[in-house]
Amino acid sequence: MRDSLAGATAICGLGMTELGRVYERTASDFAAEAVLAALADAGLAKDELDGLLLNAGISQGIDLSLVQTLGLRELSLLTQMNAYGSSAGQMVQYAAMAVHHGLARNVACVFADAPLVRGQRAGQAYGGARARRPGLGSIVPSLGFAGPIPFYALHAQRHMDVYGTTQDQLGAIALSARQWAARNPRATMREPLSLAEYHASPWVVAPFHVLDCCLVSNGAICVIVTGAERARDRPRPPVYVHGVGQAHQLEWNDASPSLAQRSSRAAFAMAGCGPADIEQCQIYDCYTFTVLTTLEDYGFCKRGEGGPFAESGALAPGGALPMNTGGGMLSSYYMWGMTPISEAVIQARGDGGARQVARNGRVAVSGNGGIFNHHATLVLSPHALG
Amino acid sequence: MASEVAKPIDPAERARPYFDAAARGVLALQRCASCGACAFPLRARCPACGSTALEWREAAGAGRVFGHGRLTRSSAPELEGKLPLTLLLVDLDEGVRIPARLAASESRAVRAGDRVTLSFETSGDGTPLPVFRLDPGGAARSAS
Repeated sequence: MRDSLAGATAICGLGMTELGRVYERTASDFAAEAVLAALADAGLAKDELDGLLLNAGISQGIDLSLVQTLGLRELSLLTQMNAYGSSAGQMVQYAAMAVHHGLARNVACVFADAPLVRGQRAGQAYGGARARRPGLGSIVPSLGFAGPIPFYALHAQRHMDVYGTTQDQLGAIALSARQWAARNPRATMREPLSLAEYHASPWVVAPFHVLDCCLVSNGAICVIVTGAERARDRPRPPVYVHGVGQAHQLEWNDASPSLAQRSSRAAFAMAGCGPADIEQCQIYDCYTFTVLTTLEDYGFCKRGEGGPFAESGALAPGGALPMNTGGGMLSSYYMWGMTPISEAVIQARGDGGARQVARNGRVAVSGNGGIFNHHATLVLSPHALG
Repeated sequence: MASEVAKPIDPAERARPYFDAAARGVLALQRCASCGACAFPLRARCPACGSTALEWREAAGAGRVFGHGRLTRSSAPELEGKLPLTLLLVDLDEGVRIPARLAASESRAVRAGDRVTLSFETSGDGTPLPVFRLDPGGAARSAS
């Protein structure tokens, strides 16, 4: 029997601020602008918004005071949450559940961040000032592990050792993102990227070049989740939530990408589809390697074959499984899990312009948080689940 | 067990047995007296069974490389003069994964799955750091 949540809700509003190197603005003001833009897009008055879920990025610049900032008076659902890169996908899931059970009718899910400061390097803005931890915590930075990058890089090198994945194959993911970004007017990095330029990009921790790592961006994105029926009365085409899934574990001893497998299986099962039915995907690309391993875990290719799959051009414009069609976080903007969700909404609506992919019937969306600690999956579609 | 209470402990104080052992060139790990599971990083309760009966045991210092990566630049002052270096994640035979480095004296190339043995190096700020050397003939070219 189909889960009653399958197809019961839809995204009816999308609000995006200017994204990227946008300075002298607060995360709170970005968030307010994104919520108001999403309301306008959904054709909803402010007092029709009765649910608000918040996810602050690294700068922790938004909190429940956004309710006051926006003068919201009709909320029956409100919370702030954080599981890093999977938060946005989770917000949509909690919103869908709340709407489905009648706790709220229209729930806004907003991510906002403003870590970039003019004249400061992105890495500095993001992780430069890490506090020294007492006790055993001091060992990790003293060894040379700073932030999440080394952990992902070491997982990537393992994949290369075990399966023969090559640097060129990681590069293919970066190049594909840039090809898509060239078609996205909002993207930060739109100039063409060659494989030679990828290889020439400085190392962060080998096998990761700078260009294997996502951007750091300022801005906010908001989506509004409502009931499937109500969504049909809104001005823009509904983007139905066919399936949802999550998986979490914080035992970093076992940290493995298999969370993505658990999460996607749950979402595909609810949506009544398999990986072969997915027509395009919006995958959380904090690093090139995250994409590669997520593609394998979702079943788009076999374990160990993510490298050749990426290198085949499948993910790029014109490929068999168009991926991160807005340029992703590698080339466009880093709004945590809202980057892939917003692009899925744009594609499902047919609003992609130069980057619109004709096949948009089922879009898989992933979010990944921590060091493979949190995962969320959505299956979104322009079609009601019949 | 509901009657057990995990008391708040100063992080530096809790890690003292680790640093005392490291000074002797030995890696100390928390091990649960109740179920035998080892824990890393430090815990107030066993993540396997919930017991607070965690004791310190000396690890044998043998393990297998999970992953590795090359660090060529860093702004961290304690790494000055030590670059490039190889970062490791090592799966100890006791069943925990720890961050470490390849020993500065190790010139052979490392691969995932290689068998390695522990020693210690001291960082610029005096922190004892777990480092590993490749075992002679311990390269496991089919990584597990």
